[in-house]
This record gives sequence, C-alpha cells and structure tokens, in this order.
Amino acid sequence: MQRRDVLSTLARLVTPEDLVVTWRSTTWDDWAELAPAGARNTLPLAILGSISTTALGLAIALPYRRVVAVESDGSVLMNAGAMATLGAERPPNLTVVVLDNGMYESIGGPPTLTARHADLARMAEGAGCPNSLAVDGQAALEEAAARLLDDGEMGYLVARIKPGRPAGTPRTPMTWPRTDGVEDKYRFLRYVEELEGIVIHPDPGPGPGRVGG
Amino acid sequence: MGPPPDRPGRERSAGPAATIVEGLKGAGVSLAAYVPDSLLRSTFRLLREDPDIRTVQTSNEADLPGIVVGAYLGGVRAVLMMENSGIRQGCEPIARFTYSYRFPMVMLLSHRGGFPEPTWWGHAHAQTMAPILDALRVPWRLLETPEEVGPAVAGAFTHSRSSQWPVALVLSGECLER
Repeated sequence: MQRRDVLSTLARLVTPEDLVVTWRSTTWDDWAELAPAGARNTLPLAILGSISTTALGLAIALPYRRVVAVESDGSVLMNAGAMATLGAERPPNLTVVVLDNGMYESIGGPPTLTARHADLARMAEGAGCPNSLAVDGQAALEEAAARLLDDGEMGYLVARIKPGRPAGTPRTPMTWPRTDGVEDKYRFLRYVEELEGIVIHPDPGPGPGRVGG
Repeated sequence: MGPPPDRPGRERSAGPAATIVEGLKGAGVSLAAYVPDSLLRSTFRLLREDPDIRTVQTSNEADLPGIVVGAYLGGVRAVLMMENSGIRQGCEPIARFTYSYRFPMVMLLSHRGGFPEPTWWGHAHAQTMAPILDALRVPWRLLETPEEVGPAVAGAFTHSRSSQWPVALVLSGECLER
C-alpha cells in the first residue's frame, strides 16, 4: 500500500461538501489529481505540525460539516502534543488520516522516528483520541476509512504505507507548483464562503458564526 | 465530562477578568484557544465557564495558530491567548501562517516581566517579547486596563483581517493578577 492507494480510497469517500486540510508536498501532488471537485475543498499547508490543529479549528467552527486532516508522520511528530489537544476536544466531525511512510519522502527520504520505535496510533490512543487505529493493507484501510468518516465520532487512522508511487505512474502536471500559499488560502476561503453561504473576507464584522459551550 | 474545576483560594476579585471576558464577547469573540498562565487565571476560568465562548486549552503554544486559523476559515472570531513567553514557543507556526499565507490572527499576551516583576525568571519574557514581535513585523499594543481590552480586540480584528496579518495585544498593569 502506497500513498496513492490511500488517497484514491479517500477520494472515493470524501465529497465536495467535506473540507480537507493536508500536507502540501508529495500528498498534495497526488491529492490534487485524485480528489473530487479538483480538490477545491482542500487547504494544503506547508506547515509541519499545524495540519491537525488547523483541521481542529475548522471542525469546531463548522460542527455539522465533516473535516478530514490528511497528515504525515513527519508532521505529526513535529508537534506530537497536539494529539492530546485532539484527545481533549474530540470533535465528532473530525477524522485524521496519517500517511505514515516512516520517512521524510519529500526531501529525499531520511527516516522519521516511526521507522524506529514510535507508534502513532498508540500515541493517539494514549492521548485520548477515540477510534485510533493503524492499518497496513488496502482492505483494512477501506473498511476503517469508511467507518471512521461516517461514525459521527472523531477518528485517528494511521495508514502504514510504503514510500513512492506505483511504477509507471506518470507524474501529471500539478497545480501546486503554480500556486503559492496566499493563492491556496484564498481559493479555499472562497470555497468555504460558497459552501456555507457566508462572507469571511473582507471582514463582515461581528455577527453569526458563534460556536457555543 | 468537562475540564476539572480550578483550584480555589488564590483568586482575587473577578472584576478585571469579568471586564476582559465581556470585552471579548462584545468584540464578537466566540472561541478562545489558549495555554493557561497565572497572570490571567481568573480570565481563563471565566472563559471556561461562559456558555457563549468555546475554549480550547492546549499544552503548547505551537498548537494555537492552527486552531485560530481553522476557526477563521470557518467564519468564527477566535483569539489566541498565552503568556508573552509563548511567542517564542509559537514563533514558527506564527511565522509560517503569516509569511507564507498571510492569515489574520488576533493574539492576547499576558505581559510577564513588566515593571515591577518579582520573579527572577520572568524578566526574560519581557526582554524577548518586543524584539520577537518586531522581528515578525507583528503590530502590537500594550493595554494597561481591562476596560481597554474590548475596544482594542474589536480594533485588532479590523486591523488584522484587513491586513491579513497578525495583531498582538499585550495585557499588562490592571489586566493582570499577581
């Protein structure tokens, strides 16, 4: 199982009405090609350690909408304490999917510490994240991803994958080398405005958008 | 099951804290993401008890920028609250969200190290705060009284969102508990 297998599975399960926050590099490369609606529902972040937390803020702000964080092992390990924040808040509409290849693939492949002894699913479980589990194969992935996205509870799914792309998969021209973070932000922001029927920018001032309790 | 109750006994009057919380609500804030600290302990307690404010307590200031950025993208007015030492811990994600994405962010920092600071370890927080905020080119203002907080937060949202850049408000003087 490789990154593309996981992303293909997610692309079948995630709808344009869901919102996705993902690592902007190798993951975004494939996701931009495979995701529904041209991945307009996706915010790619070049900020290791802030992908799950951004998805958490989005999930709290929009509690009726499914939010998916597509994480990497390097990103999760950079700010592993965020697992405890997720485990405390447990937004029922948030699912975290970690692509755990045991390496920093986008910079040439030095190992991450999941290649040693770190076990992200057990760490998430210990941090209080409900429905934390790891999968190694395609059938288990498909079952778990479908279940965690639909169960109305927070989920933390670690997909243990092999690095790289399937042999012979052509590198298609992607949108990401052509855009920068500011363009990615506005594209996603305008999509949320359209989806929610709200104005985010320019600032409409204090008003609806409160979250309770 | 909510968070455990606060340890009683060290609280002074809730007056300044209540004014700060009312100021935040008046500015339309409905989410506060924070790392707790002693200088604003009553403010954090009142925020946790307030049904109109959703709080997210974290263990590390580096969690906070993502949470408030995510809330912004969901149409919610969120503030990031921490002691001024947190600007060191949170510096990397703040820098990335700011320089790579130009995301707005309203930060409230408690001013540890202000005159007269009684602890030996607190001075570093004030000594490093201003140079780091200036290095990040984050505009910031020092607030001395709780009554200033509400209008300053409302102004900070206007400024931050129109510039798509963070703004920091540093709570000092009568805003703080010693």
